[in-house]
Amino acid sequence: MRLKRFTPTQKAFHALLMLSFLIQAVTGTARMYIETQWGRVIALPFGGYDGCLTIHKVVGLFMIVLFLCHLIYALYIVFTQKVQSEDALWPSMKDFKEFFAHLRWMLGGEAPRFDRWGYWEKFDYWAVFWGMVVLGATGLMLYSPLDTTRYFKGWSLNVALWVHRIEACLAMLHIFIIHFAIAHLRRHNFPMDHAMFTGDTDLDAATEERPSWINRLRASGELKNKITGNAPVIKVALAYFIGLSAMFIGIYLVVGGIVNIGFVNW
Amino acid sequence: MHRLIILIALLMTWVLAALPCAAQEEVAGANRYKLREMSTGYYKEHEVLPSRGSPFVQWNAPAQSVVAGGRAPSATYQINAHAMVPNYLHQRCESCHRAEAHNNRHVTRNNIACRQCHGLEPIAGINYYFSPLNPIRRHATVCAKCHQGASSSFALYVVHEPQPLLAGTATSFPVLYWAVWVMVIIAIGSFGLFLPHTGLWLLRELFTRKKKGGDA
Repeated sequence: MRLKRFTPTQKAFHALLMLSFLIQAVTGTARMYIETQWGRVIALPFGGYDGCLTIHKVVGLFMIVLFLCHLIYALYIVFTQKVQSEDALWPSMKDFKEFFAHLRWMLGGEAPRFDRWGYWEKFDYWAVFWGMVVLGATGLMLYSPLDTTRYFKGWSLNVALWVHRIEACLAMLHIFIIHFAIAHLRRHNFPMDHAMFTGDTDLDAATEERPSWINRLRASGELKNKITGNAPVIKVALAYFIGLSAMFIGIYLVVGGIVNIGFVNW
Repeated sequence: MHRLIILIALLMTWVLAALPCAAQEEVAGANRYKLREMSTGYYKEHEVLPSRGSPFVQWNAPAQSVVAGGRAPSATYQINAHAMVPNYLHQRCESCHRAEAHNNRHVTRNNIACRQCHGLEPIAGINYYFSPLNPIRRHATVCAKCHQGASSSFALYVVHEPQPLLAGTATSFPVLYWAVWVMVIIAIGSFGLFLPHTGLWLLRELFTRKKKGGDA
């Protein structure tokens, strides 16, 4: 039995964000490491340094538009009250308690009874928010140095580049290590959790991991509306293909980046 | 009488109109030319000789003999910054300017040579009045060679960027120093929390069998 977890709009946001993030990660890392052979090789399919820069700028603008669309969407579903209290991603005291309870479970205690969103999912969501603001603002500054320096002094571009770079490394490492470890590599999800691609999750697994959510759905009688059939095999296979390719690209960038870190004049 | 008044008025007009400027015109680095320069692409029109100062004190004269050069800070004001460098002809820029050869992306990424910005021999100190890299005109004479329309603000980009994390940067480029340290502390805090957290989680789950159910 499958349980609906994400709407088509949410899946589309995730897919578009994921695609554009991966393009930005590859073209950005390629330029950051352009002094090394490795950097030049990953820049090659995008037309070298200049091609990477063009693609990075265009996709960056796309991400900003996507972010604005998401803001409108988020404000819309909040103000039309389509989000009930426990379905909201707003962090609360409960998340801090669950975080420490989860740590106790890792050391052998009782597992906390999560609701629809675990604290790590809320953290991921707001981390993207913060990253979008920082990377978007510094990225816009770096988009056209000639125009930017009409409003800011030229040295602000040095600062913008470094902030952009560190925030990008933080975002990439968080997604490619922490997010992939939780969504793909942990035993209960291995090799991947395809809920974000097919939109549904296993009811029994959800009952075990997020009992508060299931109880809440049972109590309000909404559970039967949320039960769906299995996703078609082709959809699941496609989800696996996309998810595992993303993981392969991400881990390749992390390993290559760490191996080549000493060959760049920082 | 009437004639005399007219004559005096004419004389005064002539004298006042011909008042010599106290100093010659300000040069292209001044902000007031920025937009004009950006829109026309002409830079050198406004460049004039340095004024002489007062008739008694030639304040614009070089503080020292032009052959000072070498390691002294005043070398940046000399027409030949390397005048006193021994064996200069047989050295490369990198032999002495080790950091400067690698601390800028113009060199490491775009293969720009030192002389493409600093000019040909004799290489003038960047603060020498007629140096192309003098801050009053570098946006026009150097930056604009590649960055068409570069303004004087654009030329404030720090090409020889100090290592942002080193202590010395706190004095040479404090905004960069603090911005980068804040970002690094955020990154370290985030990974310091989530790497052990996720590692422990993976380990704990590795030894926990799911009670029931298929994939998550």
